Amino acid sequence: MSQYPGQPDDPQRSSNGDQDPYASPSPQTHGGQPPQFSKPEPYGQPPAYGQPAPYGQPTPYGQAPVYGQQPVGTPPQNYLVWAILSTLFCCLPLGVVSIVFAAQVNSKWSAGDVAGAQDAAEKAKKFAMWSAIAAVAVIVLYVLLIVVIGVGRGLTSP
Amino acid sequence: MVVPRVSAGPDDAVRGGWASRSAVPLATAASAVAALALVASVDPNEPGHYPTCPFLALTGWFCPGCGSLRALHALAHGDVREALARNPLMVLTVPVLVVWWVGWLLRTVRAHPRRRVAPAWSIWALLVVVIAFGIVRNLPGGAFLAP
Repeated sequence: MSQYPGQPDDPQRSSNGDQDPYASPSPQTHGGQPPQFSKPEPYGQPPAYGQPAPYGQPTPYGQAPVYGQQPVGTPPQNYLVWAILSTLFCCLPLGVVSIVFAAQVNSKWSAGDVAGAQDAAEKAKKFAMWSAIAAVAVIVLYVLLIVVIGVGRGLTSP
Repeated sequence: MVVPRVSAGPDDAVRGGWASRSAVPLATAASAVAALALVASVDPNEPGHYPTCPFLALTGWFCPGCGSLRALHALAHGDVREALARNPLMVLTVPVLVVWWVGWLLRTVRAHPRRRVAPAWSIWALLVVVIAFGIVRNLPGGAFLAP
């Protein structure tokens, strides 16, 4: 699986000197050859680690000092009231997810992660909307049950 | 001739009078009072008056919100003991919501945008309380928390 078996700085080549590593093993080198065929795999990889640019660019980490202090300005809305109303009156799973995103808004904002807080706020808003839609859907379905099918009397109230 | 007012944007909300700034929290309070009046007058203890909790209908388990309507109905009639028996979490939530609403109203009246956020741990604690409440009220030993 060596990607660069023939490259000039391959340690396999330099260690073997003028000996052809791909030649069938001679009786003298029979004991030493098989490990040499397996060694090039790890030795061929390291050059790949030196090439990726992200390791040499600390730009994503350069913003780190900003974190840790609460930003100035109006924090994003976390829609926690919608989450609580959804949990208590409508749809438990949607409400629970909404509470999680509301907590993320506040924790990320307090940590100085403005983008993360805004992202969590968007998701919290989305789930608040879904909760409202689900609540309306439940009510509409219930009315349909009563009006169209007439089984409303059999259902118990929450 | 009355010039129709252009829809209020965020800037209008800050520059306008307190009545226009506080329109949303006041409308919210009006909606809440109307909903409470409905729940107070249309008895949720009567089967068929309101939809069954979808979670209860689908799974057969009580959710943390089951009993909320009956608790609100009892609260509206001044029966705190009955409200606590139906859903204590609901009873605890009402004063929190009222305090939040007062803070919201004051911010709009004073035109002070929100600057602080609640500590995240308090919301995580709320999540734990909600889930634990939902589990315990379904257990045999937690029947006193069932709606």
